[in-house]
Amino acid sequence: MDSRPGDETLLLAVAERDMGAFRTLYERHAGWLAIRLARRCNDRDLVADAIQDTFVAVWQRPQGFRGDGDIAAWLWGIAIRRLVSRLRTRSSVAAVFEHAGTVPAAEDQVLLSVEYGDIGQALARLSPEMRAVIQAVVLDGLSAREAAQLLHVPVSSVKTRLYRAKAHLRAALAEGPS
Amino acid sequence: MTGWHLDDDALRRYVERTDSLAEGASAEQHLLSCAPCRARVTAAAGVIDLAALWDRTRDAVEVPRPSVFERLLRVAGLPAHEARLVAVASAFRGVWLTGVAAVLAFAALAAALGHARGTWLFLAVAPVVPCLVVASSYDPWLDPALEPELVTPYPALRLILLRTIAVLVLALPAVLLLGLVVPGEAPFAWLLPAVGFVAVVLAASTWFSPLRSAIAVSSAWLAVVWLLAARSGSPESVLQARAQAGFLALAAASFGIFLLRRRRLRQLRPWR
Repeated sequence: MDSRPGDETLLLAVAERDMGAFRTLYERHAGWLAIRLARRCNDRDLVADAIQDTFVAVWQRPQGFRGDGDIAAWLWGIAIRRLVSRLRTRSSVAAVFEHAGTVPAAEDQVLLSVEYGDIGQALARLSPEMRAVIQAVVLDGLSAREAAQLLHVPVSSVKTRLYRAKAHLRAALAEGPS
Repeated sequence: MTGWHLDDDALRRYVERTDSLAEGASAEQHLLSCAPCRARVTAAAGVIDLAALWDRTRDAVEVPRPSVFERLLRVAGLPAHEARLVAVASAFRGVWLTGVAAVLAFAALAAALGHARGTWLFLAVAPVVPCLVVASSYDPWLDPALEPELVTPYPALRLILLRTIAVLVLALPAVLLLGLVVPGEAPFAWLLPAVGFVAVVLAASTWFSPLRSAIAVSSAWLAVVWLLAARSGSPESVLQARAQAGFLALAAASFGIFLLRRRRLRQLRPWR
């Protein structure tokens, strides 16, 4: 390992109001956070606002990190929720769970089934709406309420879609590889 | 930490968003626990201007939380950025206000204690305090933040008027309140001279620097008060109805001049 300070060390320094450490933390994490957020929301300005909110929140309450797990995961938890709350106040902007690769090329399909087996194909067969819900709730760890705000749909729709998506996946996996 | 990392193709598909949901989810799960891959993702693509965002973020954490005064302005309906512009004026810094209040209170106390000179002191100080505070609220020499503000296409007139109103809202009640302590005078008698001097300073600051204007106005007022005191006139004479009408005319005329010459306000730099 190199001798650069770890994220925990940086966070402790941020708690001591160390602007240099704060900047290093920002440079380490803002980039990938932005790329990941941009996969949830097409509006780049909103993504930037959410990143700013995230780091302002980190500066104000670095003790919010309780020392469990990765700081990256903690930052992501803040960032996605800041994006949700930014979206709530800007109802005109719709969050789009955009996936260019709705239909993977045949070559990729093979690759996928090699790497991820049945689950990848089962997910790929879900409708975009269901995948969006799966992504928000299962993969991003949002509550049904937060997912509803992110996707601009009623909470009840999130729950139904999640239920159906899980049923689809279960059936697809029980069927075995097609 | 495992030896497994995103290979270059997977990384490219991730940043280009040509991956499938499963692959993307897998990549994201890995990124949460792998600093080297996070650094590679950051280096591979930029969706936003991270340097500009850093500047914004640093500014956001470096400015102190809005002061009570700034929050009041927002409650009063000013948009956040205007509330900040108005509130950052040096005149609203605690030290300044405390000093001004102390001088006023001291003069009022002296007058209330019945010293003959006390009333004169209050008469000399109270009407010029608002115009001094107004001048310091937009004098570039006292407020280094003002210069970039005026270089940006923000209307200088609006800024100066907003700050003036804010100063008057703060300073006039203080002058009025302390005026209550001074025996013999109606507390509102100080109002018109104070407003008149503020208007004169606004008008004069289209020629000179606000601070110089305010100091000149204050000096002239002190000279008048000193002359009257030397000729053993009564302090009340300055505040009679005829004098009040004069102050009103002065305020109206000065404000008219200020509005007519408001374009000169943009030439703030030569004052330096």
